[in-house]
Amino acid sequence: MDKLQILVIEDDELIREVITANLAGQSIDTAGDKATAERKLKTGHYDICFIDLLLGENDDYSGLKLIPLAVSKGIYSVVMSSCDTEETISQAYALGCKEFYVKGNEVSNIAAIIARYMQDDTGKNAQKIFSTDFITNDPATRSMITEALKYTQGNLPILILGPSGTGKTTLAKLLHEHSKRPGEFVASNCAAYTEDLLEAELFGYKKGAFTDARETRKGKLSQADKGTLFLDEIGAMSRNMQTKLLKAIEEKSFYPLGSDKPEYSDFRVISATLEDMQKLLTEGRLRFDFFQRVHGMTITLSPLAQRKCDIFPLIGAFTKKTKRLAFEPAAKEYLLAHNWPGNTRELKRFVEIITTGTDGQITLPTVQRHLPRSEAASGPTTITQAQYDHALEHGLGGALDSVAAEIINRNLSENHGKKAATLTQLKISKCLLYSVLAKSKTTERK
Amino acid sequence: MADNEKLYHNLKSKTIGLKSAAELLEKCPPEKKDKVIRLMREAAQDIIMLLTELEAKPKS
Repeated sequence: MDKLQILVIEDDELIREVITANLAGQSIDTAGDKATAERKLKTGHYDICFIDLLLGENDDYSGLKLIPLAVSKGIYSVVMSSCDTEETISQAYALGCKEFYVKGNEVSNIAAIIARYMQDDTGKNAQKIFSTDFITNDPATRSMITEALKYTQGNLPILILGPSGTGKTTLAKLLHEHSKRPGEFVASNCAAYTEDLLEAELFGYKKGAFTDARETRKGKLSQADKGTLFLDEIGAMSRNMQTKLLKAIEEKSFYPLGSDKPEYSDFRVISATLEDMQKLLTEGRLRFDFFQRVHGMTITLSPLAQRKCDIFPLIGAFTKKTKRLAFEPAAKEYLLAHNWPGNTRELKRFVEIITTGTDGQITLPTVQRHLPRSEAASGPTTITQAQYDHALEHGLGGALDSVAAEIINRNLSENHGKKAATLTQLKISKCLLYSVLAKSKTTERK
Repeated sequence: MADNEKLYHNLKSKTIGLKSAAELLEKCPPEKKDKVIRLMREAAQDIIMLLTELEAKPKS
């Protein structure tokens, strides 16, 4: 393990000696006053910084002023002070310090801080995670993943929500890797199987259990023993299957198909879905007890359209080991204006096409050719979530009728109720216009 | 920070430093021990000065 680079900012030489002695084995640098501390923070590279709040005689909490500087450099900042008033503690945390201690128990406190830093992924490891394992510069996504990483070592189930292609599987793998569970990461897409096949896939089967069971096969639950079972698209799982799986999750034991002997497996569940969980519960497609069992911690991944700061870092990552790409400014703007309905998956596909089929700097026409104009609308998506939900509830015909009525009523209003103008402008039949008007009147009466 | 507040803060800080150093002293490598003892001696003198200052303050 590399030594941690630590800066101790403390004006009292004796306490500096005490802290330094308790950090034996690490690479330590010290600063006894504010100016030295500022200079070292600006020019040096540190993992952790211990900050005293009062630096020298007649000092006015200059240690507090050093916290934002340390935080801006990504340094894990710990305050160790004798000033532990409620006000100074709140101020220090508000400025971004991670931990606050009253001086006096250095032996146990420093050991705990180092241990927490090593386990905690909010420090140096976080930088590595977000630049290699799960590439994102989006503060909200970073914060959510950082929070989730704190829970990786327990058995708490994790539920990942988000549209298709936002990186749910990548995140599940990352959470497994940080869990230190010795077993495998085993993924299963619940939407890819019929109920019977999913049962066989998850629980396994004995030879002869059904017509095609020519040999005994281990299920995903067994494969995930001491590891992680990742259930993608859990919304597609039948209620019957949810009941069986709930029992297996709770008891950590299950019966493979055709077997009368239970099998045991110590697996941790991470599940994912692109569907609205509340809606699944309301519609009765998801059992409440099953939902309770799988949603210990919930992480919602935003679509790429809402974290456009990730587009170019992702392009950089996709081309890290292949031909690097450079886009002319207009092409960059076009990429940023695109809505990326297929999210990261769409971006990856686009990058693959571009790296294979282009030379030199990527021009706007090249980008336009591979990302059609209709998808590159600069405004919001043309279909709202409400309209989409309406279509799911009432069918596509009902949803289209509703959109048509909205357009007709708006146009009529803009034409001050002149039906002839609406008929001409929208190129619709009288029949459709009057049918919409009749429906509107009925709704008004209600 | 008011003078009185500063006085108590310094006293607290110096005594904590002395206590922490005392805990460290037993396991301190020989080459560091002399330095730590010197610093502890200085801290002890500072504490005496602070206590004297505190005694001299009007009692209210």
